[in-house]
Amino acid sequence: MLLEARDVSKSFGSFRAVAGANLFIEEGEIVGLIGPNGAGKSTFFNCLAGDMPVTTGQIIFDGHDITRASPEAHARIGIGRTFQLPATFEDMTVLENVMVGAFLRYPHRDDAREHARKIIELTGLAAHASNWARSLGTPGRKRLEIARVLASKPRLMLLDESLAGLTPAELRDAISLVKRIHEMGITLVIVEHIMEVIMTLTRRVLVFNQGHVIASGKPEDVVRDPAVIAAYLGHGHVPRRG
Amino acid sequence: MKRLSPTRLGIAVFAVGLLLYPLVFTNPFYLDIGVTFLLAAISASAWNIVGGYAGQISVGHSMFFGLGAYAPLLFYQLLGWPPMAGIPIGIAASVVLAIIIGMPTFRLTGHYFSMATIAVAELIRIFTGTWDFVGAAIGLQGPATARGWWDLTFRGETPYYYIFLGVLAALLFITHTIERRRFGYYLRAIKARERAARSLGVPVLQIKMQALMLSAIFTSLAGSLYAIKTGFIDPESGFGILVSVQMVIIAALGGAGTLFGPVFGALILIPLQSATNTWFGGGGSGLTYILYGGIIVLIARFEPGGLFELWHRVIAKYRSRRDAA
Repeated sequence: MLLEARDVSKSFGSFRAVAGANLFIEEGEIVGLIGPNGAGKSTFFNCLAGDMPVTTGQIIFDGHDITRASPEAHARIGIGRTFQLPATFEDMTVLENVMVGAFLRYPHRDDAREHARKIIELTGLAAHASNWARSLGTPGRKRLEIARVLASKPRLMLLDESLAGLTPAELRDAISLVKRIHEMGITLVIVEHIMEVIMTLTRRVLVFNQGHVIASGKPEDVVRDPAVIAAYLGHGHVPRRG
Repeated sequence: MKRLSPTRLGIAVFAVGLLLYPLVFTNPFYLDIGVTFLLAAISASAWNIVGGYAGQISVGHSMFFGLGAYAPLLFYQLLGWPPMAGIPIGIAASVVLAIIIGMPTFRLTGHYFSMATIAVAELIRIFTGTWDFVGAAIGLQGPATARGWWDLTFRGETPYYYIFLGVLAALLFITHTIERRRFGYYLRAIKARERAARSLGVPVLQIKMQALMLSAIFTSLAGSLYAIKTGFIDPESGFGILVSVQMVIIAALGGAGTLFGPVFGALILIPLQSATNTWFGGGGSGLTYILYGGIIVLIARFEPGGLFELWHRVIAKYRSRRDAA
């Protein structure tokens, strides 16, 4: 088991954003987290990434208890994440952004740059390598975030709506990039609203609503679950595997 | 042969100009402006490491400057030591103070670090002004005449000029080295987005602390050089808020977070200050505040990246026009 999140809860005062969520991920899986806005999936995601301390529960990664570990420790142990709103380093070039990720495994500048160049090539950003990150549009920034995390050589990548806001063509490219990342042996957890992404990429889905996991299982089964349809998808949704 | 870029050419010409300045401007008035410029450039460049590169805005860096300034003259007065011997003690005290301030405030998000620096600097200034051991409001004095070269008490300004120039060159070399290493990249990442930097494994607290300590070391050294050169220090000239504000303004004017920005800022501000002091004499004692305020407004409104960024934009525009032609 690569990641075990047992009975994770997160409260803000009297408000319980996540109530006893469980998630068990085997190495090499792609798992989706879906649910309406405010359901608690991003909070749960932030707990997994070490960005928010859990109120109760336990998180184990590859046998190590990381429940109270800092985000830096998460990165060191091999958990990388992206942000819902791209958090690129605006006054650094695309290459420099990716080098910040690469420095985690390659302390020397030349080695980090060489590794970053490979990642930039892989993620289709080579043409923008020397451009400022701020010059990129939203799709470019999202791709850059993925590249930056990839450069830190994660075993588990947490993608927080990294494919949202893309045109259909950009979405196809992004899905194929995620597939390539998965083929590299990286385990993925994807928070996403776009059902096409979930249906195409994931083999297992957790559905959040009001802090609780209301359903989990194969995507094609979950989308037919009456509780999921009532809470999130609505009755007009047509299940489709990409 | 490889062509020099306009920026590199400009820097080379400027460096030669700095080396030759005391030989061309032998008048003590102009030499004093040169020495003051170098001291301001050292202080602002030291501030720039933590304030410019790491984006942790200290508005109380005078605490390090003051500790560095007081230590040489205090040990001279107490024990008769050459003022130079007090420099490492001032540096050690500054590093300890940096740790005391940085450790709790860097763990917090928000403006706690900035507020803590102002508060501590002001507390030290007030405390120093009432503590007889360090001369209270009257301050401390250095040797009136040199007992030997080790007192670093010279009749003219030229020796100070070259000592300060050497320190500035060393500081810029260290900063340039930092820029090119992982540490420099991490500083810029922290400044841009701390949360994202942490998620990539950047040890944020450790990097901020290292930046603050390095900055404190060179600010303290600047204070020591100032006190040894003037042979006098009091609470206002050591720990005063204007000392801190001047570092911030100079770095911001030239370009905070750039290697030569603080030098560029000092090159503009120090002659401007000298000119206003000369024009208005004692009647313009409050003019410095107005000048600083005006500069803050102009930078914030028109050029937040400082003049060095403006220079880069002009060069980029020139290049694109040349390429288009």
